[in-house]
Amino acid sequence: MSKVRTEDLKPGLIVSEDVKSPDGRVILPKGGRIEAFHPMLLKGLGVTEVEADSGDDEKLLQAAADYTREFFSYANPDSPVLAELFLYATGLVAQRLATGWVPPTLGERMAQNVEHLSDVLPADEADPEKIVRHETELASFPESSLRLKAELESPKASIGSLTKLIGQDLGLSAKLLKLANSPLYNFAEPVESIQRAVTLIGLREVSTLALGMATINYFQGIPPELVDMKSFWRHSISCGIFAKILSQAMGSGMNPERFFIAGLLHDVGRLIMFKKLPYASTEALLYARENFVPIVAAEAALIGYTHTAVSQYLLASWKFPAMLADLINNHHSPKAAPDPRLAAIIHTADAMSNAVEIGAGRLYVLPDFDDESFALMGLPASGLAKVFADYETQAEQTISAFF
Amino acid sequence: MALTLSPTLSLRKAPSISDEEFRKLRDFIYSKCGIFVDDKRKYLFETRFGPRLNALGAKSFSEYFQILTLSPDKDKELASLFEMVTTNETSLYRDTKQLDGVRASILSKIIKEQRAKGKFELSVWSAGCSSGEEPYTLSILLHEELGPELRKWRIAITGVDLSPAMVAKAKAGVYQEYAFKTTPEDIKKKYFTPVVGGLKVTDSVASLTCFQSMNLNDAAATKRIPKSHLVFCRNVIIYFDEAMKKKVVSSFYDNLLPGGVLILGHSETLHKISAAFKPMMLPGAMAYEKI
Repeated sequence: MSKVRTEDLKPGLIVSEDVKSPDGRVILPKGGRIEAFHPMLLKGLGVTEVEADSGDDEKLLQAAADYTREFFSYANPDSPVLAELFLYATGLVAQRLATGWVPPTLGERMAQNVEHLSDVLPADEADPEKIVRHETELASFPESSLRLKAELESPKASIGSLTKLIGQDLGLSAKLLKLANSPLYNFAEPVESIQRAVTLIGLREVSTLALGMATINYFQGIPPELVDMKSFWRHSISCGIFAKILSQAMGSGMNPERFFIAGLLHDVGRLIMFKKLPYASTEALLYARENFVPIVAAEAALIGYTHTAVSQYLLASWKFPAMLADLINNHHSPKAAPDPRLAAIIHTADAMSNAVEIGAGRLYVLPDFDDESFALMGLPASGLAKVFADYETQAEQTISAFF
Repeated sequence: MALTLSPTLSLRKAPSISDEEFRKLRDFIYSKCGIFVDDKRKYLFETRFGPRLNALGAKSFSEYFQILTLSPDKDKELASLFEMVTTNETSLYRDTKQLDGVRASILSKIIKEQRAKGKFELSVWSAGCSSGEEPYTLSILLHEELGPELRKWRIAITGVDLSPAMVAKAKAGVYQEYAFKTTPEDIKKKYFTPVVGGLKVTDSVASLTCFQSMNLNDAAATKRIPKSHLVFCRNVIIYFDEAMKKKVVSSFYDNLLPGGVLILGHSETLHKISAAFKPMMLPGAMAYEKI
């Protein structure tokens, strides 16, 4: 039995004495279970610590740390950033363990039958350039996206022209409005029209958002049995949210929408690989899980190139704006980007969303992390806890705006 | 959620490896087995080797390196090192489209030719056989293809792997449920029997196979493998650098009988490695014929 500080309480912990407020009311009787809302409630009431049996708790935390550490085994264990990510993911795993979650066994990590899949191109003919050509010859980049891109790049763009353009696509308008009303923006009043959204968010910013959302539409035809598309987009949207928060934390004048969309589309090369090489890319996913290596390393080992090599050709053939393409193509190699400081935002956002997913039981190892590029962002590693907290307030509702 | 930063809750668990220690160990591994360890795997190395260092009581990678190179037990230590650098899990009946293609277009042709010659012999080399999944899968394919005629044939499927531990597992031939995720149910019923700890291959399937630990880098050893009609080497050369890939593929070439065929992993290609083979497009797979 020992005292546990209120801010360190975790759901599932059993209190060993009555928890009383400073005025003597019993908030939680002896033997009661701490729920997720308790830490905040108790803090609000001015309770600073409670008596709890932390012996099991310590064991649980260690078990959570051991589980989580496996997924960090590919990256530098001395990185201050990863230490933050590790603590956060461990916390999530501990919460899950406390509620009776059973970590996946080796068999579960590997149990997936991909034998029904066939690649469109044989290994001899499938280099990044060829698979992108195969894609772009079959399907052109949607007309509406081309017009949005032109709008984004045009000096003559106006609220009127952009509103009209977006208004022609009802699906796109609805999605943009949902996004404008999500916690991502947290406007006091509901945003009811695209025109209003442009006024509030900005012309260039809404153009960027619209281009990103239209690009997602392009990929809606990928059959869900090919790969778990819901997880794919969850990861992508998470990365976008983190990228936006990080860019805002770096100060004003950063165009957060640019980072949101770059985060959203950072794995776009992987979508082409899923379409053209479903067997090989699913085999890479399995290989990554079975051998505890990041997906990007499994792609390199098994297929011979990675999804960023593919996105390079894809975005070039689409003539995608360089301000987005440079960030997307370099999210695993920020140093190679024209502006490493900006590419580091997507790099970090990707790592943070991976940490969240590891905490949620996702079975992929965190890729290597570039601390030097992170340092260029001018944020202290200790500041990431706040970024995680901000993310938590936005994530679920923003993600659901997409589905 | 805030967590107490207890000192035991740190990300680092294993002793750290310096760049120089990493280079030394990497070069050592390369010289011993041709496996090339990329710089990117440095931290993975620490994690994989950490428990071994702890078990040996080695406080640093330099001490571990001394044990590897100087101790009387160094051969035993080398075996456990091989185990750590080649942990590739696989399953039975993996890549069924490739197997179907091999069976329909290659095996049946070789069998027909051998029958015509009255030579009821067939040999297959499974290079990098891990814990035996591939050799047993091939044995089952041959059981299915030949049926009762199998009795007339002399078939040898030689499985080799770098890791003695993997070879021991292969010889045991016992697999857990997850190794069967891609195996058709009727095949599983017909060729495996439940035992303690999983499902065991039947004696008949095992009788066509033999296993040994072998280093593909060892030219003298690979020469001792019986000449083959078929060489399977799936997802193994991905561990090698260019020079080693060429060396290993040329040992396959030497081993193959005229007209013999090399099968690589699904996404692998001989492109840039060797022009001595004729690529063949099978439904669902590529194969390389010795010319």
